[in-house]
Amino acid sequence: MMTHQDDSQRPRWSAVQLVYLREMRDQLRDRRTLFTIVVLPIILYPLLGSLLMQIAQFARPQGSSICLIGELPAADQLPLVDSSGNVLRQYSGSDQPLRITFHKPPLDRPAAEVEANAKEWIFSGVVHAVGLIAPAGHDRSEVQIKVLFSSGSDESRIAGERLASVLKGWERDFAHLQLAAQGMDIGVLQPLAMEGVDIAPPQAGGASFWSKLLPFVMLVWALTGAFYPAVDLVAGEKERGTLETLLSSPALRSEIVIGKWAAVTTFSIATSVLNVLSMLLTGSLVTRHLFASDATSAAVGLPTFSSLLWLWVALVPLAALFSALALAVATLARSSKEGQYYLMPLMMMGLPLVLFPMMPGIELNAGTSLIPVSGMFLLARTLIEGHYLLALTHLPLVVMITSIALYLATRWAARQFEDEAVLFRGSDQWTLTDWVRHVHRDRFDEPTVLQSLGCAAVILIGLFFARLVVHQAPQNFGQLTKLVILPQLGLILAPALLMSCMLTRSLRQSLNLRLPAGGAMGCALILGVSLHPTYVALSHMIRGFYPLSSEVQAALVPFEQLVNSAPLWMAIFVLAIVPAVCEELAFRGFVFTGLRQNDGGLRAIVGTAALFALSHAVFQQSVAALFMGLLLGWVTLRTGSLLPALMIHASNNALSLSLGRGESSSPLLTTYVLESTELGMSYQEGWTLFTAALSLCCLFYLSRGQLVSQRAAKSLASTSIPALQNIKTLT
Amino acid sequence: MIAVERLSKSYDDVQRGRFVAVDEVSFSVRPGEIFGLLGPNGAGKTTVLRILSTVLRPTAGTAKVLGYDVTTQGAMVRRLIGFVSNNTAIYDRMTAAEIVHFFGRLHGMQGSLLRDRSEALFQQLRMEDFRDVPCAKLSTGMKQKVSIARALIHDPPVLVFDEATLGLDVLVARSLLELIRQLRDAGKCIIFSTHIMREVERLCDSIAVMHQGRILDIGSLEQLRSRHAEEDFEELFFGLLSRPLPIPVGSP
Repeated sequence: MMTHQDDSQRPRWSAVQLVYLREMRDQLRDRRTLFTIVVLPIILYPLLGSLLMQIAQFARPQGSSICLIGELPAADQLPLVDSSGNVLRQYSGSDQPLRITFHKPPLDRPAAEVEANAKEWIFSGVVHAVGLIAPAGHDRSEVQIKVLFSSGSDESRIAGERLASVLKGWERDFAHLQLAAQGMDIGVLQPLAMEGVDIAPPQAGGASFWSKLLPFVMLVWALTGAFYPAVDLVAGEKERGTLETLLSSPALRSEIVIGKWAAVTTFSIATSVLNVLSMLLTGSLVTRHLFASDATSAAVGLPTFSSLLWLWVALVPLAALFSALALAVATLARSSKEGQYYLMPLMMMGLPLVLFPMMPGIELNAGTSLIPVSGMFLLARTLIEGHYLLALTHLPLVVMITSIALYLATRWAARQFEDEAVLFRGSDQWTLTDWVRHVHRDRFDEPTVLQSLGCAAVILIGLFFARLVVHQAPQNFGQLTKLVILPQLGLILAPALLMSCMLTRSLRQSLNLRLPAGGAMGCALILGVSLHPTYVALSHMIRGFYPLSSEVQAALVPFEQLVNSAPLWMAIFVLAIVPAVCEELAFRGFVFTGLRQNDGGLRAIVGTAALFALSHAVFQQSVAALFMGLLLGWVTLRTGSLLPALMIHASNNALSLSLGRGESSSPLLTTYVLESTELGMSYQEGWTLFTAALSLCCLFYLSRGQLVSQRAAKSLASTSIPALQNIKTLT
Repeated sequence: MIAVERLSKSYDDVQRGRFVAVDEVSFSVRPGEIFGLLGPNGAGKTTVLRILSTVLRPTAGTAKVLGYDVTTQGAMVRRLIGFVSNNTAIYDRMTAAEIVHFFGRLHGMQGSLLRDRSEALFQQLRMEDFRDVPCAKLSTGMKQKVSIARALIHDPPVLVFDEATLGLDVLVARSLLELIRQLRDAGKCIIFSTHIMREVERLCDSIAVMHQGRILDIGSLEQLRSRHAEEDFEELFFGLLSRPLPIPVGSP
């Protein structure tokens, strides 16, 4: 990807405004857009509402058909049904009539046959549930009732439940009658009188209903509302040939992107707001009508003004985020039709983030606020529910995550717009054989962005399935070794090596295997040791913030015991050196080199760190790995070589292992360096501060010095891949 | 005024591998001159002109418009040229006047300056009748006029016409060529690319024949005729195309 140098000029507000206003006018003149955004929400919900009311008429309980076979005791003293055969109000618990028919089989018919008949009635739908009454006999004092129903049918299941509840009520009265006959009170049998009371004001009920539903509806429409204009604004313009007209005008690419993005965001917000308002209006009217006599209607009234305000606050950044993503994705398409195909993947990625907060028990906390979109959703919900203090606590994290996501998405969209290969993609027929031949024939010294992302995907998917397959804890160190080394070699190193061999021309360059300058190696040696106390402190901080669950803790104990039982050198080889080599070759090697192409230094550092973090199984490890990955990526970028990162990674792992042993032979160490804490052996504060300062000095040196060795610089300069359209001719 | 030196452009193609669309092309155009770029379809003409309009970036070589480099000073270059191409369509959902005004404003024009200039253009191009009609309803010839008005609104010193007569009827094409001649006489620096030989013969002061990304020969019509000892331009053109391609300077 390349950037036009003059596009580094600051975008002019006036030009952005011109582009924005033109796009808005253009979209408002498009019948399809107007229909989707304005007309559809206005007519959709009333239509749905009227349909719902039609269906509701059919869906009203039809009345269960229930049959009791046999005779209840004391039926004359304690009738279950009235003269017309309906269950008495005190037993049915509702005003709706519930009919029960009684059936008396001939006395000589065997019970098994009666039961078989009853089952047949239920299966054939003649009745929904049957109660089989076996009177008290000489061998037992109680009357036995078998309630037959089929859980395969909803009607039968409900009828069974209703019959059971009716009989329960009758049983209480029957017991009362019998106790009274013996001069006792029912209180002996029921010493507790329980009643559940909902103390939430009617408004809170409404808030909880809307706080779940509204953000969902709002976000789904924000996503949909962003996509269609985005496709028309980029892919549509490509198709109609107007994009090139705009690109050859004095407007900078940045101005075009910002103008279009703002227009898409406006439509996203408008679609979402109109849909929510229309749904609210229709929804509240319909529920009021349907449950006119019911208490529910109070609970599903209109949400308060403040909850709508909080929704609006959450909607703006998310609509902006969706719009940037939609714009970037739509830029990939050559035509509107192709653009429509990209909606589904975008939805598939967006929906889980919107659905996740809807799951029961999901609340705003330090973990969930880390998830983009979901975090903002939960924040809005917390605000609607009126838990302001909780919302305020997590606000910074949610804002930070949303800002990062927004920044990355807009940057992606902007870069797509500067990429000729994306803007002027030809419409050649794509065939698999052509593509395979092309991938092999036209390979470069180093992997492309897409290839490195593919490699990371292969690694992550492999590790995911490997973790599912392994469910037995290792019994001895040999098994543990196998469990660590096999995935490292087979699932992390092998894909990187294979892809380097097949997709690139130089194994050495695609894996970043260059010798760095001497100073850089020295720095890496010091950093390997000096960074560890900071890393330990960071890990402790992460565990304080996100405590390990008891299951994870329990699972880790036998693992630690096994590691400590092996000789230190062996543990270091298996758990420090092998993982460092494999992970670094894959992540800071192949993945990093690919992401670094076309001035993607920042992308390489952040992308590699994120993928490296994802490759760890335990969440707390992932967070620590993210920070470590950022640092290792930066060092790799500065030195142009994998080796310093590998060195730091290996010594960090090795020191963690030695520290975990908790033993120290040298009194010097225990005096100045180490101390025992409840979390095990740790570093003393003074030592941590000293080494942190030392690390900072090393990092400062790395940020300044000329670190890329002459030879490495030469190979770096000669191999960076030009953008697809910008390949140097081989003359 | 336009100086193109050893300009190359290649890109990745799934079927053909690394495809060289433009191969070390050099030429220059002075003010008051119409420079014809003649070549069959796929010769690389459009790629050269896209690079000049800064929509594409060259792989190697330089191109300068009034001394401004197309790669490093693209925004400046775009202010100086008017680009009319088959690939630069107009907005269907806007009227002719709205399009011309929109691009005028992007060029920083405002108020009476923009109004007077656009009125003059509408008159000159005889667009008054359809200036307020949405472009979706215009004929090909009318659309081309809107495109030209759009490209001329800022009165650029350099004009690029890429296959501008494609799809136009004889009458409209003829009046377009007449307009280009007038612009030349007004001192504009013009590049006119086409695959139609008669247009080049009648219009261009100097001609470059392009084929497979390279310029095969360059010069005025008379120079070309005398150099190849061929009076008939069509024969001359086919003669050039059927010769084996020269090896470019600097190749191994």
